[in-house]
Amino acid sequence: MWKAAFRGVFAHKLRLFLTALAVVLGVGFVTGTFVLTDTINRTFDNLFVDVTEGVDVYVRAESSFESQLGSSRESVDENLLGEVRRVEGVEAAAGSVTGYAQFIDKQGEPVTTGGAPTLGVSWYDQPKGALDIRAGRAPRGGDEVVMDAATAEAGGFEVGDTVSIITRQAPREFQIVGIAGFGNADNLGGATLAVFDLQTAQGLLEKMGRLDSIDVAAEASVDRQDLLTRLQAVVPEGVEAVASEDVAQEQADTIKGALGFFNTALLVFAGISLFVGSFIIFNTFSVVVAQRTREFALLKALGAGGRQIMAAVLVEALLVAGVASVLGLAAGFGIAGGLSALLGAFGIDLPSTNLVLLPRTVVVGLLLGIAVTLVAAVGPARKAARIAPMEALRTGLSSSAKFSRATMVAAALVIDAGIVILMVGLFLDVERTLWFVGSGALLIFLGLAGVFPLFAGAVARVVGAPVGRMGVPGRLAQRNSVRLPRRTAATAAALMVGLALVGTVSIFADSLKASTQQVVDENLFADFTVSTGGAFGAPTGLSPVIAEEIRQLDEIDSVGAIRFGQFQRERDALAFVVGADVDELTEVADIDVTQGSAGDLADGGIMLSEETADDEGVEVGGNLDVVFAATGPQSLPVVGVFANQALVGSGYLLGLDTFNANFPDAVDQQLFLTIAPGVPAEDAAEALEGIAERYPNISILDQAESREQTVSQINQLLGLVSALLGLALVIAVLGITNTLALSVFERTTELGLLRAVGMARKQARSMIRLESVIIAVMGALVGLAIGVFFGWALVTALDSEGISTLSIPGLQLAAYVAGAALAGILAAVLPARRAARLNVLDAIAHE
Amino acid sequence: MRNQPDAQPPDEEPEGGVTREERTEDESTTLEQPEGGGAPDGQREGAVDEPALAPIAVAARDAVKEFGEGATAVRAVDGINMEIPRGHFIAIMGPSGSGKSTLLHCLAGLDNLTAGQSFIGDAEVSALGEKERTRLRRDKVGFIFQSFNLVPTLTAMENITLPMDLAKRVPDKQWVKYLIDTVALNDRLGHMPSELSGGQQQRVAAARALASRPEIVFADEPTGNLDSRRGAELLQFLRGAVDNFGQTIVMVTHDPIAASHADAVIFLADGRVVEELIAPDVQMILDTIKNLEP
Repeated sequence: MWKAAFRGVFAHKLRLFLTALAVVLGVGFVTGTFVLTDTINRTFDNLFVDVTEGVDVYVRAESSFESQLGSSRESVDENLLGEVRRVEGVEAAAGSVTGYAQFIDKQGEPVTTGGAPTLGVSWYDQPKGALDIRAGRAPRGGDEVVMDAATAEAGGFEVGDTVSIITRQAPREFQIVGIAGFGNADNLGGATLAVFDLQTAQGLLEKMGRLDSIDVAAEASVDRQDLLTRLQAVVPEGVEAVASEDVAQEQADTIKGALGFFNTALLVFAGISLFVGSFIIFNTFSVVVAQRTREFALLKALGAGGRQIMAAVLVEALLVAGVASVLGLAAGFGIAGGLSALLGAFGIDLPSTNLVLLPRTVVVGLLLGIAVTLVAAVGPARKAARIAPMEALRTGLSSSAKFSRATMVAAALVIDAGIVILMVGLFLDVERTLWFVGSGALLIFLGLAGVFPLFAGAVARVVGAPVGRMGVPGRLAQRNSVRLPRRTAATAAALMVGLALVGTVSIFADSLKASTQQVVDENLFADFTVSTGGAFGAPTGLSPVIAEEIRQLDEIDSVGAIRFGQFQRERDALAFVVGADVDELTEVADIDVTQGSAGDLADGGIMLSEETADDEGVEVGGNLDVVFAATGPQSLPVVGVFANQALVGSGYLLGLDTFNANFPDAVDQQLFLTIAPGVPAEDAAEALEGIAERYPNISILDQAESREQTVSQINQLLGLVSALLGLALVIAVLGITNTLALSVFERTTELGLLRAVGMARKQARSMIRLESVIIAVMGALVGLAIGVFFGWALVTALDSEGISTLSIPGLQLAAYVAGAALAGILAAVLPARRAARLNVLDAIAHE
Repeated sequence: MRNQPDAQPPDEEPEGGVTREERTEDESTTLEQPEGGGAPDGQREGAVDEPALAPIAVAARDAVKEFGEGATAVRAVDGINMEIPRGHFIAIMGPSGSGKSTLLHCLAGLDNLTAGQSFIGDAEVSALGEKERTRLRRDKVGFIFQSFNLVPTLTAMENITLPMDLAKRVPDKQWVKYLIDTVALNDRLGHMPSELSGGQQQRVAAARALASRPEIVFADEPTGNLDSRRGAELLQFLRGAVDNFGQTIVMVTHDPIAASHADAVIFLADGRVVEELIAPDVQMILDTIKNLEP
């Protein structure tokens, strides 16, 4: 019996290969995603451990929480340094400041980082920190800078060159006196680093007499915990002493939090791969076992028991799944590299380090591959075990597509439950919205997959109707696609899932574009907007000097500046808050004040959008309790309510003075400009050109350009998501290839007959190709129908967030269907070739 | 239709096979005009008009088919010469492994000869490429196999017109209707093969084989899966096609009763023609088989 099972594995190389391929792909994509996210996390963990090397304790201002927008701490008085040095057990202590500094490369363009910060820091010798001077020497005096090795390498800078640097002050030339690195690393997770001496850094970063942190090294003999306690006793209120490992962890967590979007996206992608991969494994194995029904029937006729047959099938499945899952793990490494390259193509450069394989990844990968394969094998195995031997020998394949009432009811219930959970997540105010939406969508997909075979036949018949009129190959293709609705459904399911998601994202993005444009068109009067470019990472911000210089221009009438920060709301949730000079802001934009007065904002307090006021349950005259990172809890009077949240960019609006008081180091995020009356637009543009030349890191856009930029940013996001889903579609296409190849194998005799009675090779190819197209288009259409529903639900749910217009990109969706048809043709290339090359005689003698 | 002299079968009397003289004789006695207006003349090639020019339906000349190479090579067909004249029903018999099926496949253009030539009409099948052979099978050859004769996703009617649909040719409706009436399938035309009995399936296959008025019909154990009554019905249908419409049929069988419906039986052993019976009855065939046993 066991011999039969093992023989079964190797007897049919094609089947073995296709089954294994399905498992390898499914496992590969899931582990690939895990490996990539783990690698990203490990990279940042290690990075900050490296960065804090040589320092045991940091003394710095307290912060209520870690903002994701970069430094949110006050600075400390530099006189504290002397006190710290006097504490017993301190070997060395040095003050440091950190801030914004942007290199300009030799072409006059800002050095891009793909979202990583551009840092300016101060140098110290003692304690010996992580930063090594690799060439040249440390910076001394106001005109010298040390550059990180990665930037030097990329920009072709050497010791002795001069380089222009933009800080909070106007751009200046510095002489490069040294090149630095962190141990073996050339830079810090992609960030650029400009190192100045302390006084210069304090001046450039506008922190005269202040320190961001005092870095302390302990004497070798001293217990660090004791030192920490002694330092904590010395520092004044509002200042803390923290162990370096805690700081490293905290910084790593902050960066990881900022990268949370990618991690989530990648995990969602892993989930989709898993789901789609499961379908393919399931489908392939079901087909393979069904094809061997006769073989099992023969074994039964020769006296094998049902139990033995089942065991043989399951052992075979285990064998294949085990080997293929291990291969899948290996493939996962390649896929992780591919994903990383893909992200890089979209401007998200991830620090390259060794790929990380956690035990969790191995366990999940192996479990997934083996469990899904076993589950896929159980059904057909039971069928094989139960079949009456002579019947199977006589009729061969059993292809019953009957559905029990129970299956249908269960599937319907699952769909309903999914919709309810999805709706709860979308429309009710619950925590972990994503979790609700995700599991709701998953349930809907699972349920649909359950009932899909029920209507797959009908859908395929309709989709295939035009194909059915294309001669005999078309007619046969159409009939074949409805022949085994269960198989067709399972084959199309992967594509269905992929396109449902692509459809959802497209509708979401299109609605976002439409809504944003509507708001901007109707309410923003600005002739120009000024901002720093910057793809996905937090934009680096605009030095306040720029707004000042623009205000000096005669051609410009008003300048509205917007600043961005984060504060803490209840349940530890962070919220974005906008700071602006309200008088200036209302001149360039209509925020549509519905209650109270924007003017009162200048005297302190906060304004809320209508939705936010609703959520918070406060009205004008009431107070809102918030926590600022730097300044702690405060109770702000609500002075007004505005309607136009999309334009402000947040539901919380502070006056500029209030904002600056609570956010040290704040820079402008965006400037809105209007042209002075009577000045031609060209003149204003020319005047602004002068500013843009001096600050190469900023972009000044007129209204049309600004609109284009919004659209292109959304498109870029859409592109990234689509590219990720595109990979899931690759799996789907391979799934179609897989099923088709098995179908061709299964229909060998039939193909032989067709060829014998005169079907040309070309016709055989086109028959398989058309069947593939029918399956692909069917999956796409059903998927997009679901996608439109999800998209509608999502946009409806986000109505209060400013996405008010539902826009369905019809042309784009049509293009997806065309793409699916093309994918179908691609998927059919190999199976079609196989069908066409079939040796007619072998085929006739097959049975 | 090509009409090159060098593509003609050889003129000399073949080793085995039916002689030209016999054929002409038979032709004149067996050919009848079809009954009613529904069944037009079966001789598209103009054999009736020019009986002396293209009377050979199938021929083989020094046909050799080897399987495998070198020491392990097996000669399934070992130098066979034959000519099968138009309008005859020929049975090929022989023990298992005698090469009868291989010969049929090679004659029908399903397989290549290793050496020698084979002809259908005046086309040299052994010289054709894959594409041309496919077209030849589609346009000039009808097939009836032992089993799996029908495409399971097509109805009985669609199966019958399949070769013509593949050629994008409009079937001769009256002729097809006549065939369907003859095989009594009128009420089964919309059925799928799985809804038909074995006998019905073979009758559909027979109707398909004849529907395009092929030069020749090859039947490979067509009654192998049928009980004797259904088998006899099918054979009578084939016999009628030969007698009434001058159809040429070559049938491989090991059933002496089936073979007794043929005009002549050719016996093969070890890839060679060893015996030949004209207008045999069952007893003659049985005797011959007995004599040929080693």
